[in-house]
Amino acid sequence: MLTRDFVGGVATIVIGAVYLYFAYQLRVSALDDSMGPGGLPRIYGWLLVGLGSILVIQALVARSLAAPAGAEPVKGEWDGQGRKIAYAAGLLVIAMGYIFIVETVGYLVSVGLLIVTTALYLGAGFSGRLLAIGIGGAVFLYAMFVSLLGVRMPAGMLAPLGL
Amino acid sequence: METIALTASYLFDWHILLAALAGVTWGIMGGALPGISPSITMALLLPFTYTMDPTGAIVLLASTYIGAEYGGSVPAILIRTPGTNAAAATVIDGYEMNKQGKAGLALGISLISGFYGSMFGLAMLMALSGPLALVALNFTPMAYFALGILGLSVIATLSGENLIKGFIAAILGLMIATIGSDPVTGGTRFTFGSSELLGGIEPVMIMVGLFAMSELLIQASKRGADERVTSRPRIQFPDWKLTKRLFPAQMIGNGIGTFEGVMPGAGGTIASFMAYNEARRWSKHPEEFGKGSPEGIAAPETANNTVAETALVPLLSFGIPGSNSTAILLGGFLIHGIVPGPMLFERSGEVVYGLYAGLFAAIIGMVIMGFLMLPVCIWLVNRPRPYLNAFILALILSGIYSIHNETFDLGIMLAAGVLGFFMRMLRFPFLPTVLGLVLGYLVESNFRRSLVLSGDDFMIFIDDRISLSLLLLAFLFIAGSIGKHVYDAFFRKPKTVSES
Repeated sequence: MLTRDFVGGVATIVIGAVYLYFAYQLRVSALDDSMGPGGLPRIYGWLLVGLGSILVIQALVARSLAAPAGAEPVKGEWDGQGRKIAYAAGLLVIAMGYIFIVETVGYLVSVGLLIVTTALYLGAGFSGRLLAIGIGGAVFLYAMFVSLLGVRMPAGMLAPLGL
Repeated sequence: METIALTASYLFDWHILLAALAGVTWGIMGGALPGISPSITMALLLPFTYTMDPTGAIVLLASTYIGAEYGGSVPAILIRTPGTNAAAATVIDGYEMNKQGKAGLALGISLISGFYGSMFGLAMLMALSGPLALVALNFTPMAYFALGILGLSVIATLSGENLIKGFIAAILGLMIATIGSDPVTGGTRFTFGSSELLGGIEPVMIMVGLFAMSELLIQASKRGADERVTSRPRIQFPDWKLTKRLFPAQMIGNGIGTFEGVMPGAGGTIASFMAYNEARRWSKHPEEFGKGSPEGIAAPETANNTVAETALVPLLSFGIPGSNSTAILLGGFLIHGIVPGPMLFERSGEVVYGLYAGLFAAIIGMVIMGFLMLPVCIWLVNRPRPYLNAFILALILSGIYSIHNETFDLGIMLAAGVLGFFMRMLRFPFLPTVLGLVLGYLVESNFRRSLVLSGDDFMIFIDDRISLSLLLLAFLFIAGSIGKHVYDAFFRKPKTVSES
């Protein structure tokens, strides 16, 4: 039975261990102060590993206290989260797709595609309204960031058109 | 009195009034756009100030700062995205009130509290700039370290029911703050050969990721389960009963905002978190904090708007810019050949008193423009969730890109979003992460500088009176919070934990 605290504690220990590994790789220079660039990072890393261990122990103790001997194993609170993570990962893929295409395709087109694709993924039906929101949203954001605030967004393939 | 009289003489200068109104309007827009910080909003205006008269230029930039500090609360309440770092504390109860269908009231409280905070801050700026700046001048690295520890002590009460998770979250923030150049030797840390990471990670990227992106990911993970607020709220200002209830929280925000504002490096973010924490500590309804407490909006909004004025004290009196925004303002002064510092009042008094008058006009303008622009924001809340979320995703990706014009930053923001998503799934509070991130550099750099100064003698933190006072205060905060946790664990009835 996996609890949130148990998963969180294990993840904390892993993050702390990876961070510690790199903290110990930091180069030491003769010009460093006594603590050096790796001093506080090492303390942070060990603290994270220690606190993660406490969280794991807390979770294990809480589980043993909650489940009397001989009782039927109950469903873990972390069970069934895979589907939720997969749904969230879908949105992440869309955002990464935008990052991948924005400099090639250009801001105006790619932000319009981003709005339409995201809305479709989140449950909006394909309709004229969706397309209008995609185009209108892209034009609004372009006007806001590029025309009004003067931000230099990637022009991509629209560069010859001055967009 | 002389200061007030000189300030009043500039109140009817239409150049100043126009600059104040334009600045505050621009600031509200910039602050309301996630990813566009007050300093970016000000920096975008900087080229336009070359051709303006010095007083108008400074008023334009300072008014933008005020508008942006207020504007940051609008997306914090409506879409759980702090438009500015300082609005992060407003998210906690502002978004909860929105979920309860009280977005209009939350925005009204934010606006009124911003007005109180700004007016109080302006009064403090005018009346106490000299004496308070003298205190700031006495700050040593040990005192700055202690100030950072005092800020971090707030974590103990932001951790919710599990203190261990709160500390883990805070250390994650401190770890992120170590990425980039070492504050003492300048060597690189955790950059993995990436030139983009040399300057560290901008807190706004992590904050937008933790707050906004994780919210979008959580909503995407609940496909079909729309928890949208379906009411159509109108702007609502607090009634007399609520106004009386908010008053102590606003006073706390004023006091903390004044103290933090005059300390270079402290800033509105620390002030708003500390004000939130203290408002909860002293509230008659502490159980409502985190669940949509009006005081949870009033305290941080008053504090960060107070800081928007009091942060000018060290800049005007000593020429020390204590934050990114005041550094931009310093740039505005230098463009016109004016050097802030002790001689500023003698050599360019008209700019100082014009600035005071402009700030007064900007605060009035903030209420008017804030009121006029709020209906548009409230309308946004009621859009169908897929369209709204799609637009928010496009907005935050555009806003983050605009900081450095690099897609690398978008990757950082998405990574922070994934971190926030898992933290929320595992029920870790991520506000301590934000605090650790914001304070990490301040704490480490001053801690190590102090040790260099003392030859590794830790007693230097005790010998410095300001440092000792601040550390004692931090100790009291932490001990009090741990004591409360212990008391709750042993003497109060256990709470029923419900699945979310």
